[in-house]
Amino acid sequence: MMRTPPTVLYVEDEADDVYFMRAAFEREGISVRFHSAPDGAQAIAYLAGDAPYDDRTRHPLPTMMLLDLNLPVHSGFEVLEWLRGRKEFRSLPVVVFSSSGREEDRERARDLGATDYVLKPSSGMQFSGVVRELRDRWLRPPTPPGGQPETLHTVSPT
Amino acid sequence: MTAHDLLAPNGLANPSWSDRRSVLISIAIFAASVGAMALVRLAIFPNTFIALSYGLPLLFCLWHQDTRLLWAMVVAFTGMSLLKALVIMDSGIASAFERNLHWIMQAVNLLVIGATVHIVIALTRGLRRRQLTIEQQNTTLVARGEEIAQQNEELTAQAEELAQQNEELQQQSEEMQHQTEELHQQAEELQRQTDDLQLATAESERREALLQSLILSLQDAETDGTLPTDICEPLMSLFAGKASAAMVAERDGQRYRVLSHVNLEEFVSDAPLTAQSFGAIVMREGRTAFIEDLATRPDITVPRSGSRSFRSVLATPLRLDGRVMGVVTVLSEVPQSWTREEFKIIEWVSAQCTLVMQTRRLREELQRANRTLGGEVQDRTQQLEEFVAELEHFSYTITHDLRAPLRAMQGFAALLREQHGAKLDTEGASFLDRIETAAARMDRLITDALSYSRIVRSELPLAPVDLRALLEGMVASYPSLQAPAARIDIADDLPAVLGNEAGLTQLFSNLLGNAVKFVPPGRIPHVRIFGERQNGTVRVCVADNGIGIDPAMHDRVFVMFQRLSKDYEGTGIGLALVKKIAERMGGSVTLQSEPGDGCRFWVQMRAANGSVQ
Repeated sequence: MMRTPPTVLYVEDEADDVYFMRAAFEREGISVRFHSAPDGAQAIAYLAGDAPYDDRTRHPLPTMMLLDLNLPVHSGFEVLEWLRGRKEFRSLPVVVFSSSGREEDRERARDLGATDYVLKPSSGMQFSGVVRELRDRWLRPPTPPGGQPETLHTVSPT
Repeated sequence: MTAHDLLAPNGLANPSWSDRRSVLISIAIFAASVGAMALVRLAIFPNTFIALSYGLPLLFCLWHQDTRLLWAMVVAFTGMSLLKALVIMDSGIASAFERNLHWIMQAVNLLVIGATVHIVIALTRGLRRRQLTIEQQNTTLVARGEEIAQQNEELTAQAEELAQQNEELQQQSEEMQHQTEELHQQAEELQRQTDDLQLATAESERREALLQSLILSLQDAETDGTLPTDICEPLMSLFAGKASAAMVAERDGQRYRVLSHVNLEEFVSDAPLTAQSFGAIVMREGRTAFIEDLATRPDITVPRSGSRSFRSVLATPLRLDGRVMGVVTVLSEVPQSWTREEFKIIEWVSAQCTLVMQTRRLREELQRANRTLGGEVQDRTQQLEEFVAELEHFSYTITHDLRAPLRAMQGFAALLREQHGAKLDTEGASFLDRIETAAARMDRLITDALSYSRIVRSELPLAPVDLRALLEGMVASYPSLQAPAARIDIADDLPAVLGNEAGLTQLFSNLLGNAVKFVPPGRIPHVRIFGERQNGTVRVCVADNGIGIDPAMHDRVFVMFQRLSKDYEGTGIGLALVKKIAERMGGSVTLQSEPGDGCRFWVQMRAANGSVQ
């Protein structure tokens, strides 16, 4: 039986970062259905299934969401707040992917229910390391019982 | 025996062995009597019972009273009697019974006589003792008698003296009587003075009441710059019964404005100030004045209060800033001749009122100024705070936002090298190198700038830190600080400091990074870290063998973006960060260096008390 590859939704306004992320998955040979949303409002529309994301065959619900914090329209924090009130997304891993190393940003993301917090590397080519980590931690079905880390884990830039 | 012999101490007891003469006499008597008895009884008449008693020699002891001698003779004679009867006497002369009876009778005879003589001696001694005691008592009594006689004489002398003193006392008593009379007079004088003083005290109390009222009004921040409305109450009592009404008024154009009054309830508060009114005259003249009986001056008007009509008036001008601005008036219902003393009182009241009004006016001005100033300062502070917050946010955002294009630049440069590197010629490859170097440099710049802004903004809670452990951990995690790249010696006795662990890590990683970086080509960096504790502070030195820094440049190394050498990589933020961290932890950093002689960076921090957990 052919297993359906996991779906990754990357919420990012920087087109270059989206490009490098997509390239990193390809380079690492990780088979995913890669979708992106350019701002917080579009991310919420995608998750809610509002137009133009109402077709779930073209826009399937994500297995994991990568979320930038500094976004137009609605910030990453606002997306987290929106998610927190919705039961259907309780099991969706949301990995914050930000270049902000500020402790207050980490704390706020954790308080709003982010599953993980990964610091953006300084070069687009270093996204490869990030996707390997993401695969090992979030995209290995089935998740062994108790295998999900309870605490936030940070991938340091190399 | 003479009385002297009787009083002699040896008459009261047996002669002491040390009294040689007495002992010799005892021995002589003993020898003579025993010898004589032995000669007569044992030698001359060995076989005859001689009637002559052994007891006779014992009577010597009544003369030489020695009981030891007495009993020695008794024993000797008994022995002799026994010897004669049992050994010497011919057994043919008397039967054994007769001989035994004889010696036993003699022994009994000797014992009785010995005992009798002993008792006589004891009695004699007792008598002598009593006689001695009586004589001693007699002597004492004679002495006491003499003493009493002497005391008697003395007493007589004292009695005479007392009589004399009595006379003197009599004289003194008379004198005292005289003085008492004088004292009485003085007491009466004092009573008069006390009465005067009480009067003065009462007045001073009344003055104090007035001052109290004024001072209280000063403490009341609500009232305006005028006088308290109840100021006339103490003013009235200062005139103790002579005043029937009082008023303090200020001029308001051509009218009176009454600030305070007593017993003038119906007086219109803004009565017109006519030229004939007494208050207007006093203000015009600018001096204290009175009218003894107003009936004599129908041309002059004074305030009226319904049924009351006043016959006498005393008033003084009220001044403010040297200008007459009101009047203090005291009125009486009967004609009064006001005294010089009362002039002084009303002028004093006026002066106090002036003082209080000035104080209150000044205070109001001050409060007004304070309010204005306080508001301004607050506004400015708030503006500044907003501005600083905005600046911080701006600097953070701009630094942060710089990362996105940088990430793309570095990423695409790497991608270009990876996918199209083979197609580039030497010059193209070198351009790509430069792009990557520039991007890396910018990356460091952003990282350092962000660290700096984080240190400036964030709290640095202080805790005891084992500096040695921290530095060893740092060296272990950076290959550039280990052999063979470099040699780092950390002193064993590095004192514990009170600091922030993250801050200290950043501080020393910058100092160590610099220490191993700024060395001439080909030289292996050697860094020594040592420290000392001085009272409450710790000084830690990071000394290197690098190129050193010209003393003229020492002030500039700690300034943001100051780089002293183009030959070495750097952002010019490191030492600014070091300085900022040290300051945020309550310490400081200084530099000792000469070109070519290496650098010694001294970091002063607070010392940790006790040991580090």
